[in-house]
Amino acid sequence: MNAHALTALKLTGIAFGAMSLGLLFMGLGRIVSARIQRRIGPPFYQSFIDVIKCFTKTSITHNFVMDLGIIMALGGLIATAFFVPFANFSVLGSSSVVIVLYLMSIGYLGMAMGVSASGNPNATIGISRALALMLGYKIPFVMVIMAMILTYNSSDLLTYALAQNHGFGSWHIFKYPLGFIAVEIAFQAMVGEKPYDHMIAPAEIASGPMVELSGKYLGIGFLLHAVQLYVETGLIVNLFLGGAQTWYIMMVKMFAVYFTTMCINAVMARYRIEQGIRHLWIWAGSFALLQLVYTRIWG
Amino acid sequence: MYDHIFKRAQSLHGDKITCEKKHPQQLEIKTDRHYVMNLLSWLKTESYVHLAFISCIDWIEENQFELVYHVYSYEEKNHILVKTRLDRDRPWMHSIIDVWGHAQPYEQEIHEMFGVYFPGNPDLSGLFLHNWKDLPPMRKDFNPKDYSLALYSLKGMGHEALDMDFIQEITELEVE
Amino acid sequence: MEHDNIYLTNLRDEKQNMWTGLANYFRKRSMWMLYYCTGCGAIELPPTMTSRYDMERLGMGPMATPRQADLLLITGYLSVKTLKRVIWSYEQMQEPKYVVGFGSCPINGGIYWDAYPVINHLEAFMPVDMSIAGCMPRPQAIIDAFEKLMDEIQQGKAVGYKRYRKHYDWYKRNQDLVLNRQSAVLTPYVDPFASMPTAAELMAQESEDSHV
Repeated sequence: MNAHALTALKLTGIAFGAMSLGLLFMGLGRIVSARIQRRIGPPFYQSFIDVIKCFTKTSITHNFVMDLGIIMALGGLIATAFFVPFANFSVLGSSSVVIVLYLMSIGYLGMAMGVSASGNPNATIGISRALALMLGYKIPFVMVIMAMILTYNSSDLLTYALAQNHGFGSWHIFKYPLGFIAVEIAFQAMVGEKPYDHMIAPAEIASGPMVELSGKYLGIGFLLHAVQLYVETGLIVNLFLGGAQTWYIMMVKMFAVYFTTMCINAVMARYRIEQGIRHLWIWAGSFALLQLVYTRIWG
Repeated sequence: MYDHIFKRAQSLHGDKITCEKKHPQQLEIKTDRHYVMNLLSWLKTESYVHLAFISCIDWIEENQFELVYHVYSYEEKNHILVKTRLDRDRPWMHSIIDVWGHAQPYEQEIHEMFGVYFPGNPDLSGLFLHNWKDLPPMRKDFNPKDYSLALYSLKGMGHEALDMDFIQEITELEVE
Repeated sequence: MEHDNIYLTNLRDEKQNMWTGLANYFRKRSMWMLYYCTGCGAIELPPTMTSRYDMERLGMGPMATPRQADLLLITGYLSVKTLKRVIWSYEQMQEPKYVVGFGSCPINGGIYWDAYPVINHLEAFMPVDMSIAGCMPRPQAIIDAFEKLMDEIQQGKAVGYKRYRKHYDWYKRNQDLVLNRQSAVLTPYVDPFASMPTAAELMAQESEDSHV
């Protein structure tokens, strides 16, 4: 087998692995929420059932742009997943955090294009909220990344992960605690959990961008969320939680990040949009700025 | 409670109205339908600023409709019911939207449910009923049971079997 | 009006192959519902969803729009005006889709059987896969009905959506009979004020009448 075919095979494996891991996390997250609300909750494989069921349904499309946008979103996010190192393992040999941030936006823009083309006003409102919120969390996030880049003179995620390989003391969560808090708040908004779930808001704008997605489109929507979880939890683990040597430690750390998010999600209510953005800028932003200044002067 | 307004009403409109104390907090004033507007405008200046509702009653034996205007005073804290009778064969009543603008949907609803016409009300289109072609449904000579059986029962929909038989027939067909 | 006495043919003996059997497993384990609570009965659903009876352990959950939902829950009575919207919602849903009539009213009108705005038989307007009797059914009955519906889905018996497609003319005729009625049902009403006269005209006419 030649090298290109092997790479292609590995990439396919990563794509499906990312989807499966994300779906598993979603199922476990639903159990976590259920237990907090003193319910039994669905089985952990519930999200897989949901996605497969969605793909067995008929679905309705409104135009070509809708199809293109949804596929572009999934493609963009899967492409991002290729660049996130999973347990010190990066197929493409490069894992620049700048590329990750850039490609992640393609996912969101694809989604925006697809659902806006569906013509439903609720979808447009939802996407405008999502993009407004993106302005809120991207700025603190990028400030923390800048602190990292200034420290290591490198934008490679693998470099950060390897630098934290010397026991707990070397983890960035202890070296850059303010940055971690900023990223954790931003992460809550990135995955769209409460208190930053303006974009979905089922009782308010009927699940926002997903409003017009039916059947297979909804299934792709679920997969999008799954890959998004993989990418973003992987990013945080590599940035702050010391990366991982083995795949199971990586998975446990990724789930720990998501678990925290779900716990916060279960006990918070939704902010209003302007409150959410203000909160992100003031709190996450100031923590990130302090971290940046601290790193620049004493780091 | 309302002795003050009772006396004033008697002295100012005594020849046009009949007052009766119905309840410690309710005063009933009966009047001619052409005088209702004057009476309501006067009551509005006498602190009865809240028009709570307009209701309509079908007195079919007397061949009359009765309109009841419920007004309330936040200062006196009591109700006054202004009642008037209309001819049932040709029911119409002056619209009071010049006194209380929010009377518009009340009159619209009474027009839909009883067929009372309110000249001066800008919108008397249907509010609640879908595609209604029968008698206004709140009239006493409208029979809702006959209507329901004629339209919504399966027999009324053109299936020869009786309701329960028909349902059983569907069920049996499907279980086989 | 001429009425043909049409009956529905049986669609339940549908042959299942391995693929539909497998797909039905996933369909029954993940039913997302759209609940149409314009009547009563919305109060019975929160206990069914939350910690006491926890519907989510069966894989069921509420969904926000008809496009995403599999299950249409008609809770309580349906007036003619909401019937129109229910049919729109039902037709927007993607197949396979199931309808559950909830309470006595969608079955035979319940206590509103003789009321002029409330329809009596939901089966005549859209295919109902499962009916829960009671006014209102308690959450135990609801969970029980959902489990029975899951069995029927697995066995390929809950095929109301196929019946709707096959007998669309029958359903459409019933819908039109109620929604697009052209004539009065009992006595036609002639509005004596159809010409919208003003108050002055009416008073002039009345004084004329009294003189005569």
